[in-house]
This record gives sequence, structure tokens and C-alpha cells, in this order.
Amino acid sequence: MKKLMALLLSVVMVLSLAACGGGDKGGSGSGEKKGDGKLTVNIWDNGQQKGLQEICDLYTKETGVKVDVQVITWDQYWTLLSAGAQGGEMPDVFWMHSNEVQKYMENGILLDLTDKIAKSEKVDLSKYPAELVEMYKSEGKNYAVPKDIDTIALWYNKKIFDECGIKYPDDTWTWDTYYDVAKEITEKGKGKFFGTDMASTNNQDGYYNMIYSMGGYVINDDKTKSGYDDPNTVKAMEYLGKLIKDCMPEANIISETGTDALFTSGKVAMITQGSWMVAAFRDNEYSAENADIAVLPKDAATGKRTTIYNGLGWAASAKTDMPEEAWGLIEWLGSEDMQKKQAELGVTMSAWEGTSDAWVKSVENFNLQAHLDMMNPDVAEMIIRPYSRSTIAWEDYARGDGFRPAWADPAKMADQCKAVAEQMNAALAEEKQ
Amino acid sequence: MKSKQKVTPRTRNEFIWGWLFIIPTMLGLIVLNIIPIFSTIYESFFKTGDFGMGNKFVGVANYTKLLADADVWQALINTFKYAIVEVPFSIAIALVLAVFLNRKMFFRGGYRTIFFLPMVAAPAAVAMVWRWLYNSQFGLINNVFHTKISWVSDPKIAIFSIAVIGIWSILGYNMVLFISGLQEIPKDYYEAASIDGATGIKQFFNITVPLLSPTIFFVLVTRVIGALQVFDLIFMVMDSANQALPKTQSLVYLFYKYAFMQNNKGYGSAIVVFLLVIIMIITAIQNWGEKKWVYYN
Repeated sequence: MKKLMALLLSVVMVLSLAACGGGDKGGSGSGEKKGDGKLTVNIWDNGQQKGLQEICDLYTKETGVKVDVQVITWDQYWTLLSAGAQGGEMPDVFWMHSNEVQKYMENGILLDLTDKIAKSEKVDLSKYPAELVEMYKSEGKNYAVPKDIDTIALWYNKKIFDECGIKYPDDTWTWDTYYDVAKEITEKGKGKFFGTDMASTNNQDGYYNMIYSMGGYVINDDKTKSGYDDPNTVKAMEYLGKLIKDCMPEANIISETGTDALFTSGKVAMITQGSWMVAAFRDNEYSAENADIAVLPKDAATGKRTTIYNGLGWAASAKTDMPEEAWGLIEWLGSEDMQKKQAELGVTMSAWEGTSDAWVKSVENFNLQAHLDMMNPDVAEMIIRPYSRSTIAWEDYARGDGFRPAWADPAKMADQCKAVAEQMNAALAEEKQ
Repeated sequence: MKSKQKVTPRTRNEFIWGWLFIIPTMLGLIVLNIIPIFSTIYESFFKTGDFGMGNKFVGVANYTKLLADADVWQALINTFKYAIVEVPFSIAIALVLAVFLNRKMFFRGGYRTIFFLPMVAAPAAVAMVWRWLYNSQFGLINNVFHTKISWVSDPKIAIFSIAVIGIWSILGYNMVLFISGLQEIPKDYYEAASIDGATGIKQFFNITVPLLSPTIFFVLVTRVIGALQVFDLIFMVMDSANQALPKTQSLVYLFYKYAFMQNNKGYGSAIVVFLLVIIMIITAIQNWGEKKWVYYN
């Protein structure tokens, strides 16, 4: 009796171990079975799914390899991807972002593309912005091919400007003009509409641009020190505090509804927003009719007009069963023709030099040239989105606990800058260990 | 020879089949629950590296940090506030509904389905709908009642607004459990009580509640545990720019924030182990209290 019990228990143990071991290799749950000749592609932007699937279908036509583009929202994307990297199922081809890419490269999660790119006739890295290529490189090896590039511009609501009898924004504007106009509109709106809005989560598309334009910085060049306690950064954030106080809806309205939704429902006249939002603003009936774009204001003191820019990269899993096909798809997506196609379809601006002119014509309603002008060195200075190895740790703090109190009470802005700088310096120091 | 009882083929057969039947459940429990519990406890003593590689042993550092972390204590208060509202209301309302829907009435199946529906809907979808109901500018609630209340961004009331969503979502499930419990109660008791002249309300407190107490106890224990683990509603309704977030984030929300958003799995693990201990203590107290008010006839 006891022997039988022991035997059964040991069977249970072995079976459960086998189940664990099996989980690592085979993976379970996801409907896609490996080795059925289908590439799984993961992205996080719903607005781009249709266009990218179209480009991938062209690849299927060319090679016979089927491609399935799946959208997973930004928040879950990284949770799922890191779970996959730890021993679960990973998509074959997926997007990479400057916030996260470093640790994926260092831990061998991504397929090394260096030799493949060197041999490729279609992908020429010299045609891409050098800083983007550099971002997806670790110890001299390339792990991703740039997908797109984005810039920030000033989106405004023509209807509100007409109603208030104010001239539309143009390239003569300084941040002081921006404040004056936003204040005037807020006063004329009498609670019905407001001059502008921004949340503490709008960094790349919001206050980062003001900081660099006013001569401040977020992180220093060798990524060891926070710039949030730099006097110019504090100046920019205090300028933002003035906007919060005089020109925006209450903080709770902004956080509940979201800056974009307030803009597309005609509640605010101006927002700073990234080129990745074009598809969403085009598909929204109200903003398609009433919105337009101008370049960002410059700073009167420094004379600088600045945009933060960033670009996603196409990477493949090091564990994929079909590395050749996965690379084939990345090569396809990174080729000049398909980069142009991506721009023409209005998916996003493309990273390949000179292909974005096609993008300007992709949406008729808006003056997309403004986003493109932000890439022109004569017009604006481009700053790569601040990042380090642990970007998310300090950025998450700044977006939430760090600057949230300053939205409730803008007088606290300088103190909050100091608090964020401290936290960020601690996070950066930890990186080096 | 006779002292050792012989195993008859029948007992052996039953033994083998018994084991065969529970092995799938046991495997599931071991793989999905028991192993993760121990690896979480194990991880809470480490400073975790990327993708579970390069973990560094730090002893109880995560726990000393936790005990000194004001956010954790605030989150504990928030979690308790949520549970104190959600559990009693969801049980009381469900109990009353169950009594009404246990009688013969027109469209009974329809009503039962309607109350159970929120349980079937995905929590994320439920939260998104409520988020818009609560919206202070465009929300249905404020527009219908002409109020100007920031339901989910006023730090004083946000956690209660979220508890209301929790009550609404769990009501149907509790109700179904109570209905099944009610059907176990023999009709004779009520008949006898009626003859003795007991009113409906008296019957409810003197017959229904005591005889239903095993079910109530089960629902209470599972709901307290469920409420202390609240996460999805808060995560979906609250934006990280929301001023009320510090006063609404629950312990599991903090766990998610540290473990998955900030990639500090060690500290995140310490937070859930802390929660596990709290849940164990509360459940132990409830089990002790069981003798005082639960009747098994």
C-alpha cells in the first residue's frame, strides 16, 4: 500500500516536471502552432494594423510565407513580450522601442541581424537616421531595422480659432505667443473650451519638446545624470505650470478624458502631438474636419525650435523557428519600396531618407508638411527621445508620482522637478551596478 | 497473518481510479499555483535581473524597504476600504435579490440572467463602460443628475466609485450561489412559520439567514479574498496621471506597477507575499469565527 502510494506520488512529480519542461519549449495557449509556415507579427498600434497587414500581404505574394499582424496594446505588449523572452512563446517579428530595446539586446533575446544586413541588397542602413540605427545596436551588432520616424508638431482646432477671431499658428510663434493665445482662448471659451491641455504622461509629445527648446535637457549625453534639476529645464517646466494654471481644463478632466479625446471633441484649441496620431485624427470625424497642423513654437530666448523624435525598429526573436523567413520579412519592411509604401498608405512617416514626401500627400485634410518641416535642420532641431538602460523606471516615476502633484498645484513644479531628478539619478546610478 | 488486512481488488481498484481522477487537478494546481507561490516567495529575496537572469540575493532588503514604504501602507488602506464597501454590499444585495428571485414569478429566468450578465462580460470592457459613465465632463451619471462630481478623480471618493463597479460586477455570481443555497432549505419551515404567524421579514432573519449561513460563509470568505486582490478595475479606470491614483491603488496594483511596469520583480514579489500573509491572517480569523454563527444541520 505504502509502496504504491510512493510510486504514484513519484509519477505525479515526474509528470509535473515534464509539464514544466514541456511548457518552456512547446509553449501552450497561443493558437499559433510553430512550424506551420506562418510568421506572427506583433505591434501595439491599432491604427497601423491595416496598412502593415497590406504590406505583409505583398510579402506573402512574393514569397508564399503567410504573415499575421496582431495588435497588443502598449501596456500589455511589454508584459507579454518579456514573459515570452523568459521562456514562453514569442512572436517571430515585432516592434522595438528605445525604452526597452537595450535589455533585449544585451540578453540575447533578439536575432542578430548584423551579417544579414551587411549582405542585403535591399536594406541600406546609411539611408536611415544614424541615431536610430545606433539605438538598435549593442556592442557593434545590429538587432533591428528602423521602421519609422516621428516628430512632434502643433495641432490646432480651426473652428475654435475662427470663433475667437485669432490667426492660425505659424512659424513665427514663440512659446510666449503660445501662452498668450492659449490664455485668450481660455478666457473667451468661458469653460466651454480651453486653450490647450497636456497630462503628466505626455512627455515625448509634450513637455520634453519645451525642455529642449528652452535649453534644458532630460538626460545628459553619457546617460549618467538627470537634467530635471537643470535651471533651464526647471524654467521650461515652470512655463508649463503657467499653462496648466491659466490655459487648461482642470487636471481631473484631463486625466479622466485624455488629452487627445479632449482635442478631438472640440474642448481644447491646441495640443502638441506626434505624427503617429495622424491616422487617429484622420479617422475621427470631428478632427478630420476641424484640425490642422503647424510647426512647434520656438523659444524667444534661445531661438531654438525643437522636436523630440524617435523611431521604432523591426526586430525578430532569436528563438524563432523560421529565422530566414523572419529576416526576409524585416528586409522586406526595411526596403526602400516598402518604406515608401508605408508612407503612401499613411501608416506613418518612414525612416528611409526622402520617403516621407509620399506621406505628406497621404492625408488631404491636414498640412502634414508641418511634421516634415520639423525634420528640416533649417527649421528645427531634432532631439532623440531621451533614453537609458532603465528608461521605464524613471520615466514611469516622472509620468506618475513625480509630476502628478504639479498638475494639481502648479506652484509645486520646481519642487517636483527636484524630486524627479533625485529619483532619476538614483535609477541611473543603479544601472551602472 | 490475519492481523494485516488484505487489500481486496475492489479497494485497490478504487484507489487507482481515485488517483487517476484527481491527477489532472493536482497537476494543474501544482504547475499553475503551488510552484508559482514558492518561486514568488523565492524571488522576493532577490534583486531580479532582466528576464529572470542574473538575480542577486539581497536577503530581506525588499521587506525592510516595503515596511518603510508609505505607498505600500496607503495601498493597504485603499485595499481595505475597497473590501469593506464591496464585500458587505455585494453580499447583502445579492441575498435580498436571491430571496426575491427564488419565488415563482413572471420572467424569473430573465431577471436571473440580467443580474448574472455582468459576470459574463470581460472585466476590461466593464471598466471601460463605467469609466465613461463616471466621466466628470461627458459622463452619463453627471449629465442625467446634473451633478458636477469627479467620481473617479476626487481622491476622497474615487475608491468608493470603483467599489460600486465591483459590487455591480459580482452581484450576479453571489446571487446564483445564494439561490442554490435557498433551494436546499425545506419548505416545511416556512409553512410552519406562516402558521405560527411569522411575517416575511421575520422568516428571512429567523429561517433563511441561519439555514443559508454555510453558503453565506463560503461567499464571505471567497469575496474577502477576491476583494483584497482587486486590480483590474483600478488598472482600467485609473490613468497614471489621475490625481486620485495614490488614494486608490491597491496592493496588487502596486505589485503590477513594480513587477511589470518598472521591472523590479523582486520588490513586486515582496508586496504580494505581504498581501498573502494578510489574506491568510484574515481568513484564519474568519474560520475561527465560523463556529460562532454558521449552522450546519
